[in-house]
Amino acid sequence: MIGIIVLLAFVALCVWIVRAAGWRFALKRLGGALVVLVIVTFAVSVMLQFTSGDESTRQALDELGVSRNAQPCITALGTAATDVDRVNECVDDRNLDDNVVVQYVKWAKQIVWDRDLGLAFYRNEELLSDELRQRMPRTAWLFLYSQLLALIIAVPLGIWSAYQAGRPGRRSLPSWLLPLGVGLLLLIGLVGGWKLTSVFAIAVLIPVGIFHFFKGGRQADTATNFLAFALLSIPVFVLGESLRYAFAIERDWYTLLPGYEPWSAGVGAHIGSIWLEALVLGLAAAPVYLRLLRADMIQNLQQDFVSVAKAKGMSNTHILLRHVLRPSTVTLITVLGLNIAQLVNGAIVVEFIYDFDGMGSYLIAAFARREFFAVQTLVALVAAIFILTNTVIDVLYTAVDPRVKADDDR
Amino acid sequence: MTNVAQEIHVESGEAAEAVAADPAKKSSSGWLYRFSVGWLIIVVGITILGWLFGDSLPGLKDPTEIDPTNLAAGPSWSNIFGTATFGQDVFSQVVEGGQISLLVGFSVTVIGIGVGGGMGLVAGYYRGWVDSLVRIIINVTLSIPALLLVIFIVTIRGQSLITVIGALSLLAIPALARIVRASTLQVADREYVKAAQVLGVKRTSILFREVLPNVMPTMVSFAFLTTGIIIVVEGTLSFLGLSVEAPTITWGKIIAEGRNQFAETPHMVAMPSLVIFFTVLSLNFVGDQLLKRYDIREAGIS
Repeated sequence: MIGIIVLLAFVALCVWIVRAAGWRFALKRLGGALVVLVIVTFAVSVMLQFTSGDESTRQALDELGVSRNAQPCITALGTAATDVDRVNECVDDRNLDDNVVVQYVKWAKQIVWDRDLGLAFYRNEELLSDELRQRMPRTAWLFLYSQLLALIIAVPLGIWSAYQAGRPGRRSLPSWLLPLGVGLLLLIGLVGGWKLTSVFAIAVLIPVGIFHFFKGGRQADTATNFLAFALLSIPVFVLGESLRYAFAIERDWYTLLPGYEPWSAGVGAHIGSIWLEALVLGLAAAPVYLRLLRADMIQNLQQDFVSVAKAKGMSNTHILLRHVLRPSTVTLITVLGLNIAQLVNGAIVVEFIYDFDGMGSYLIAAFARREFFAVQTLVALVAAIFILTNTVIDVLYTAVDPRVKADDDR
Repeated sequence: MTNVAQEIHVESGEAAEAVAADPAKKSSSGWLYRFSVGWLIIVVGITILGWLFGDSLPGLKDPTEIDPTNLAAGPSWSNIFGTATFGQDVFSQVVEGGQISLLVGFSVTVIGIGVGGGMGLVAGYYRGWVDSLVRIIINVTLSIPALLLVIFIVTIRGQSLITVIGALSLLAIPALARIVRASTLQVADREYVKAAQVLGVKRTSILFREVLPNVMPTMVSFAFLTTGIIIVVEGTLSFLGLSVEAPTITWGKIIAEGRNQFAETPHMVAMPSLVIFFTVLSLNFVGDQLLKRYDIREAGIS
């Protein structure tokens, strides 16, 4: 049933792409995507060959009475590898005695044709598809919430910043006050303890900063930009670790223990079990969107249609939201697609920090147990999702903005 | 990132556009630039001094030395970054960890600029089948999440310094190739290159005497940005326990160690984190400023 729906959706997608972008272009893009997908998965297969060990391992295995190429199976089985039958079964199952190309073709056939993803863990013979069904929704929700959060943070700030960038600078606080303030904070912290510092920061520095920010002018843009830069430079693991300390250990705003709760457990429980992870990923993604939106909108603001709209007497808000934000949305969507790869990286780290049972922590577990067969399938899956999404977005982009097609050679 | 390639891509697109049409370009960020350069010089200087002279330097101790009178103590004058669970000096650990982290960052960038930059230059200037090949390589690497790829390679090939550098180079090469290629395409389209072609100058010498010098500023700027990203990715790897093996200290590993006893040693997480943060921020900032400062198009117009 699900297969039929997916197939129908795929056909509908293809038809739509062809209608929107034309045969030649659609074929070129889809063909390119397919080629890239095949190369990626094949490269992973080739890399897996390195796990077979060197010649001496092979000889030792041969003497033990199992296949010469059984090393990956033995590492995957771990302690269960003492059972020769299971090793042989595994070698047979993964076609380890064939060469790379045959192995790859058989693997691809198993995935695409038989729709069998194989085992998640060889040691206790769990099915990967079961594992996926259990963990995939968690990571999917995490992605969704984090991106929503990132957009909620980035879009207003980006619009504001781009708008302020074009306005003349106002007489305002000189920017060298910032390091002075931070230095003062450190001094107070060292002399009078950290409590006093936070009081001072909340009472003096943050109001001054907010005032400075809302006064507008070029400095507001500089400040926003600097904020984005700072946020971009914080590694995800540092961000995750500090927020975990602040909200889950120091205070009880987030409870680590029950883990993920599905929607069926109630809205409050669901959001409560995921918000901190989503916040970390969202904060990590926000500066990327912010900087891009700002640059794109500044460029759009200098187009002739803005002057025309201005001459017609339209309000600034109207111009910003209806005439400038709209073309920038296309860019934003493109980055959203590119960000999937970024999100997978973030998910691996965040799920590791918060013991969140999603795809990221499964990947870490699979690597730790040297379960490369499942990893191979997963890498292919992630790459397939990434490539498919980006091809669709690419074509979507073309359908909206014909200039891209003309510029295709670049 | 962090997906390196994508992050660089985003930054490159942003920077190029922002420079072309940013009225707020001449903002008062001079002191920030100087601050960043100063911080980088301090970090690199202390790291090199620590590498040359070891714990004979005043203020530095043996990072593995156990001090039973000073267990898990907060920052003080004798241990400015505090001490670890068994009284090891965290500052010395950070200095020693910096050797690996910075070494990885720099060597990966050098490899990336050398190989990836060369690829991008050739692909962007000669076009043809080389270009198609490079584009396929770029697309393929872009479609695997960076961290996933690095973890994959490191677990297969073993956790040695060479493997880590190699795996990270595999990320940096296509990312830089992409940027240099785009920049080369732009430069190769300009009048002086066409004039040289008309004059009958050999293509190789155009490449080295006209195109390369004009692509150079972009390359140098992105060298800084890449170093920052690579330091973060390496930190992430060691945080997950997948970077260079046990006795070697890296920044990420100190954080991972402090994380296990967060209640006792929060400074073990905070201090290396701050060092990483400021270093990466400075690298990003210097790269960005260089990009703005040496933008060729801008100079040509005014």
